[in-house]
Amino acid sequence: MTATAEDARFEPRGRAFLRATPTQRRGEALLLLGPCALYLIAFSVYPLVVSLIRSFQDYDSRADSWRWVGVRNYSELFGSREFWHTVEHTAYFTFGGVAIQVLLGTALALFFNQQLRGASIVRVILILPMLLTPIVVGLMWRMLLNPDWGILNWLAERAGFHDVQWLSSPSTALRTLIFVDCWQWTPFVFIIVYARLQALPQDVFEAAAVDGASWFERTRFVTLPLLMPAIVFAAVFRGIDAFRTFDLVYGLTNGGPVQSTSTLSFEAFQNGFEYFRYGYASAISYVMVIVAAVGVTLLFRVVRVRRLDHA
Amino acid sequence: MTTAPVVVRAERPLRHRIGRAVSYLVLVLIAVVALAPFVFLLIISFKSRLDVLTVPPSLHFHWGDISANYSTVIHEKKFPTFVVNSIVVTGGSTLIALVLGVPAAYAFSRLRFRGSDAWASTILSFRFMPPVAVAIPIYLLIRHLGFLNSYPGLILPYVAFTLPLVVWIMIGFFDEIPHEIDDAALVDGCSRSGVLFRVMLPLVRPGIFVAATFGVIFIWNEFLVGLYIINSQERETIPIAASALLTVESPIDWNQAAVVGILTLLPVLLFAAVAQRYIVRGITSGAVR
Repeated sequence: MTATAEDARFEPRGRAFLRATPTQRRGEALLLLGPCALYLIAFSVYPLVVSLIRSFQDYDSRADSWRWVGVRNYSELFGSREFWHTVEHTAYFTFGGVAIQVLLGTALALFFNQQLRGASIVRVILILPMLLTPIVVGLMWRMLLNPDWGILNWLAERAGFHDVQWLSSPSTALRTLIFVDCWQWTPFVFIIVYARLQALPQDVFEAAAVDGASWFERTRFVTLPLLMPAIVFAAVFRGIDAFRTFDLVYGLTNGGPVQSTSTLSFEAFQNGFEYFRYGYASAISYVMVIVAAVGVTLLFRVVRVRRLDHA
Repeated sequence: MTTAPVVVRAERPLRHRIGRAVSYLVLVLIAVVALAPFVFLLIISFKSRLDVLTVPPSLHFHWGDISANYSTVIHEKKFPTFVVNSIVVTGGSTLIALVLGVPAAYAFSRLRFRGSDAWASTILSFRFMPPVAVAIPIYLLIRHLGFLNSYPGLILPYVAFTLPLVVWIMIGFFDEIPHEIDDAALVDGCSRSGVLFRVMLPLVRPGIFVAATFGVIFIWNEFLVGLYIINSQERETIPIAASALLTVESPIDWNQAAVVGILTLLPVLLFAAVAQRYIVRGITSGAVR
């Protein structure tokens, strides 16, 4: 008791003492932030600016020189059928994949909410897929899906589906890509939604149960609305990452067959590093930067980067 | 008289027990779906080139096949070199990212200056930058600096990719520590950096583990930017080496590819077993406050 009274007496003086002058404060901020900021300027901002400039230029590989072409890269891009196909694949992969992952991930979270023995071990197992090297995930699934000796075709055959074309047909390859992405990333949604579920106050559910609400009603009208912020966060976060996906495409399908799984990342990569059309590739990647920026803005709407509890 | 309540009591537990049994079945199924691909990969890595073609694979293994596969990958394909490269690059990049990122996160958590929130968001947004968008300029920059085919050539960009993650995670952890602790140290005459190093660092140690864990996972798996910076086997990291095995146009020796897969994933799985607590905290740090 006395201690609290003393604190109260000394606190104001302590606070006043702490109030550093603006110059001091700027110095402190610079010291702590400066190295990080400079580093990011050199290795993130500068490359982004260069990319923007290159998207208005053309690279001559023989002369190793750049030439201004105005918006030609962009007009070629927006006029090309191939580009719009790529946009379509990327959108299908992103929205389709994330929708499935959100549904399954939320279902998993609700499922794990019942107390089952051994569930904690399975939760650890579920973390594993998303930590794996995407290139090796591609390799692994190429084996599982191999038309001649892959175990999945064997299983499908047992279930009555003959000759399933996982990766070899343009009409199914993109869906297979989504399937593998879901295998790897559903746990991400699950972990976020489940953590939120664990953090919810229990009395709301008890009250609903006392009021005679069935499990379905409780889930639909109490649990899901409370989980919504976490679900939206997971969906947007995952959406941006799915949109940028490159490694999995490279490892699993290499964009094929007949470009049917070529996403924007892969298209930019191919044009830049395989056809040496740096300018055109930069234009594609800048379209991606803008879309990603929109996504990030959306994400920061959902999650407050900083709370405003102290000013 | 006595039978009725007994029936009622017996009926509910039965329904309950069936529901319980179904739940456990689903639980096992989930574990199988998550694990089966690894198991298949492991089995393939134990097979001779011909035995790979048997479906379903028989579970009779020959020690000769296993040791032949693994010793080819380890001795002839120089896998240990890639492991060393990956460890050097991952360790170096993570360490530098922490040294740069932790003070920055502390500043964002404690010092209010004009536009500090906007700056924090800008740094965090780099986490979502499409890597293709910077791959070419970074490649040209590294070439210009003369770091192609070297550790710094990979570490320099990897630090930049890891920083936003470190800052994001660490801001959350610093925010959890009451300001009164800083104030007390400041009153006692400690400088801001003194507070950070002497008082805060021990308190946010779990946060540093979380940030390091995510840095390590990200860098260990990074592929796109490294692919063109490194073009000699001597400096390839594991993902780059693994992809080189895959894209060679000649028919792939699947049993050896499976060995590469197993040897790549094994460290990640071991790491996950040790660090799973931090992984869950890191994933949820942005979403659940």
